[in-house]
Amino acid sequence: MDKISFVLASDEFEKLQAAAMMASVASVSGMEVNVFVTMAAMACFVRERVERKDFLRVGEVGRKVLEKKAPLYVDLLTQGKMMGTMKVFACSLALDLIEKPLSEMVPVFDDVVGVAAFLGIAEGGQVLFV
Amino acid sequence: MTEDTKSSEVVDARGMYCPGPLMELIKTIQLKPVGTVLSVLSTDEGSVKDIPAWIQKVGQVHVGTEKKDGYWDVTVKKVK
Repeated sequence: MDKISFVLASDEFEKLQAAAMMASVASVSGMEVNVFVTMAAMACFVRERVERKDFLRVGEVGRKVLEKKAPLYVDLLTQGKMMGTMKVFACSLALDLIEKPLSEMVPVFDDVVGVAAFLGIAEGGQVLFV
Repeated sequence: MTEDTKSSEVVDARGMYCPGPLMELIKTIQLKPVGTVLSVLSTDEGSVKDIPAWIQKVGQVHVGTEKKDGYWDVTVKKVK
C-alpha cells in the first residue's frame, strides 16, 4: 500500500484546507495516510475556535471557502478517516505549549505522539510538510 | 449504453465543491453490491477528472463521462 504523511505546522487557513483535502482524497484512494499536527497548526484545532470559525490567518481564498460554506479542514479530515485508513496525530510538544489537553481539541485525533514516534510511523513513505 | 452499463443508481452531487462529488460517490459505492452502475452528477469540473482517476486507482470501471446541460454525468461500474 502506498504511504503518505502530512506534517501540518502552519496556522494559515488555506494551507490547512489544501493539506486536509489532499490527505482525505489519498485516504479514500486506498493509501495509508498519517497526519501530524504540530506548532502553529495545533491552535487551529482548538474545538472552541473551530466552532466559532475564529480562524487565525485567513486570506482571500479562505474567506471564499467560508462564504461558500465549503467543507472545512476538520470536516475533510473526519471524512478521510471515516472512509479510509487515515490517522491523525497531535504533537505532544505543541499541546504542552498551548497548555491545552486533547479533550479541548476537535475530535479528529487518534493519539498524541512525539516527533520520534511520528518519524517511525512515517518511515518508508512520502512526507509532505505544510 | 448496453444493459450492463445502464445506471441503476444516481449520486446527485450538483452544487458541491471539490472533492464533494468524489466523496459522495465513495460513500454510496461502498454500500452497493458488485455489478452496480452509478451515475455521479457534478457541476464541479475538477471532479470530472478526479473521479475517473480515483476509479482507476481503486480498480473500478469508468463507463463514461457525458456533458449534460450545465453539469456532467460520470458513470462508474462497481466490479469488485
